[in-house]
Amino acid sequence: MAGFADLNVPQGADKKSLQSLLEATAHLGYSVVALNHVIDFKEKKQEIIKPVSPSELFPSLPIVQGTSKRIKVLTRLTLVVSDPSHCNLLRSTSANIRLYDIIAVFPKTEKLFHIACTTLDVDLVCINVTEKLPFYFRRPPVNMAIDRGIYFELLYTPAIKDSTMRRYTISNAISLMQICKGKNIVISSAAERPLELRGPYDVANLGLLFGLSEGEAKAAVSTNCRATMLHGETRKSACGVVYTVKKPRKVEEEETAVPACKKAKTQA
Amino acid sequence: MAAAAFERRVLQSAAEHHYLRVRLELPDGGARPNAAQFKQLVVTALRELHGEVGAALPVDVLTYEEKTLSAILRVISSGLVKLWSALTLLGFYQNRRCAFRVLQTSPFLLALSGNSRELVLD
Amino acid sequence: MLPAQLGRAPRHLLVCERGHARHPRSRHAAHVRDHAYSCRVSFLIPECGLLPEVLKSTIADFGEYYLVRNLPIHELVAHEFIDAFVKKGSCYALAYKTKIDQDNTAALLPNGKLILSVDKDTYEELGLQGRPSRYSGKKVMRYIITVDLTDAGFHPESKKHNRVLWALKEKKPLEFDFLLAWYNTGAEGSTLMSYFSKNQIQALKPKITFSTLRDLQCPVLQSNDLQGKPEESCSTEELFEWLGAVLNQVSLDNKSSSFLSTYCCPEPNTVVEKAFLCTITGFIIPEKIIQLLEQLCCYFGEPKLAHWLTLTVHGFADSPVSWRESEHGFHKGGENLYNFVIFRNLDYWLHMAVGTHDDCPP
Repeated sequence: MAGFADLNVPQGADKKSLQSLLEATAHLGYSVVALNHVIDFKEKKQEIIKPVSPSELFPSLPIVQGTSKRIKVLTRLTLVVSDPSHCNLLRSTSANIRLYDIIAVFPKTEKLFHIACTTLDVDLVCINVTEKLPFYFRRPPVNMAIDRGIYFELLYTPAIKDSTMRRYTISNAISLMQICKGKNIVISSAAERPLELRGPYDVANLGLLFGLSEGEAKAAVSTNCRATMLHGETRKSACGVVYTVKKPRKVEEEETAVPACKKAKTQA
Repeated sequence: MAAAAFERRVLQSAAEHHYLRVRLELPDGGARPNAAQFKQLVVTALRELHGEVGAALPVDVLTYEEKTLSAILRVISSGLVKLWSALTLLGFYQNRRCAFRVLQTSPFLLALSGNSRELVLD
Repeated sequence: MLPAQLGRAPRHLLVCERGHARHPRSRHAAHVRDHAYSCRVSFLIPECGLLPEVLKSTIADFGEYYLVRNLPIHELVAHEFIDAFVKKGSCYALAYKTKIDQDNTAALLPNGKLILSVDKDTYEELGLQGRPSRYSGKKVMRYIITVDLTDAGFHPESKKHNRVLWALKEKKPLEFDFLLAWYNTGAEGSTLMSYFSKNQIQALKPKITFSTLRDLQCPVLQSNDLQGKPEESCSTEELFEWLGAVLNQVSLDNKSSSFLSTYCCPEPNTVVEKAFLCTITGFIIPEKIIQLLEQLCCYFGEPKLAHWLTLTVHGFADSPVSWRESEHGFHKGGENLYNFVIFRNLDYWLHMAVGTHDDCPP
């Protein structure tokens, strides 16, 4: 088994609140968190910025409760896509995209959900938990995503904040479970404040409410998160190989870029 | 000697109750619930998530310390997941944010008196 | 459709035994010996205000244990260590502050078996033979490696020894903070303190607390009746819960109509004026617990007001074994504990309780 992880800590907050969030996650026993940078294409033209370097942001990371290790901080990019053209960015060879440890996509339509599950090179597909499902989950794309090692992310913070969202969270989660049979689920917080975070065992218990079994529920905050991270690592290195082959003239530049991102990863 | 007769009983998943050691986290400076308000908060949490049937779930506040906002709760075993999830999803106390932290759960109350994950041995 | 598991509690086991402490075939001491790692021992004596000297000195004699920081695990496999400690007494080691459902962990049993419980990645890097953990699910994510340090085939020149040493020293060096204790009968030799003097080692003493509980409601028990009878005596499960209530300072006098709590002392019960409670916390080895258990039996050698007394032992939640070499895991609580009720006539009740990821106690 693996340590507990929260793969969604919003990066939007200022540095001080981010620091207190990190301290709270470490205190609750998480050993890995991912800082999430969200790009919503509905809001004007968005540039993909380079991920923040956690080691630069926080010279000394908090110690995980009950251990002697420091918390590990990853970077994550989430693209909110409502039009197929938004996915082009993922197919492009933007160097900045590859610097993120985890790439997630939040599809707003059934077609985009299908594309995300079947063709996009991503690690996580976000499930809408704040409104009524805008489409049905269908078996073929979901199974395809599971085969491709892509995980589905459910968030729990909206369910703490608002009783209507709580209903959507539970019912959308149960709908998904009927199709994915409890496989490939990750549960994360998206908490903006320490008091919105919950401990890993508490979150695993919530998984039971969503229709997961005991083992699947614990995996949703541990081993499945680890698998998502590994999927991200593979994607990063695979992407590098393709790039080198396609544009032989830029080999030199690329070769320096790949070790650099690997280095950043090991430091994180 | 009848008293020396050996007897062994194995009770599998037969515990009538489960126990939770919990702590309520509140923002600094907020009003602290007394024991009765604390119990009321637990019932509210159950009602919010599981409705009237949830609110009717027998839950005992076996201990409560107002200073640390820590408590030991007892619930019938079939209600463990319901109580736990209700506490986890509770977000507000008197319109201010709050969080229940479940520190330990066990089907044995005795287990709560010696948690090696919390004992400091050095 | 609401998920079915909402109404289900995770698996757990409670074994209740009764026997006689002086019966020639009684296994009560063996159950203590087989449970290697304990972090807290508590005993409760009703009708007792002052602890007899002999019990006081037994507790004082609980001895030291050691904490060695960042100890590379290959040092436990070294032959100097095996010859000096493992083969000359009972040597106990347990990784400290590692969580068995998340991290790698290790333990050395007094029979000389070194147990490593490691995740899949570490297992593959180590390249030592092991078996999948029983509690790791369909996709195996955790493996258990057992190395018998006292095995005849594990001598310093053997292939097996060299391979283990190489794996732990060079292939995948693992280190932990270790709790250590060593029990030997009389044999002279070096001490753990001097052996590990180059490492960061600390000698620690168990923390002992005493308290006197006043006007305590105690259940009436019949030693030959585990299940109890209404109006006559309480059952073993009732006693087990009551003891948990006492050790957690739960109020016992509620009514069924009370708003806060409806828990009350099981019926029938008697109020004892004073009860003595002692709690010992540390890395406590079975040999010391057996001595204490024996002294507690001797307590009834002289006429006493108490009808019975209890001895509770809490295991480590993150130990890789519970009893003997039975694999132990942590699902929600990692509980593994046992409790004796010793009666005046030296009949005993024994409770052994484990959580979800555990075998049935012996």
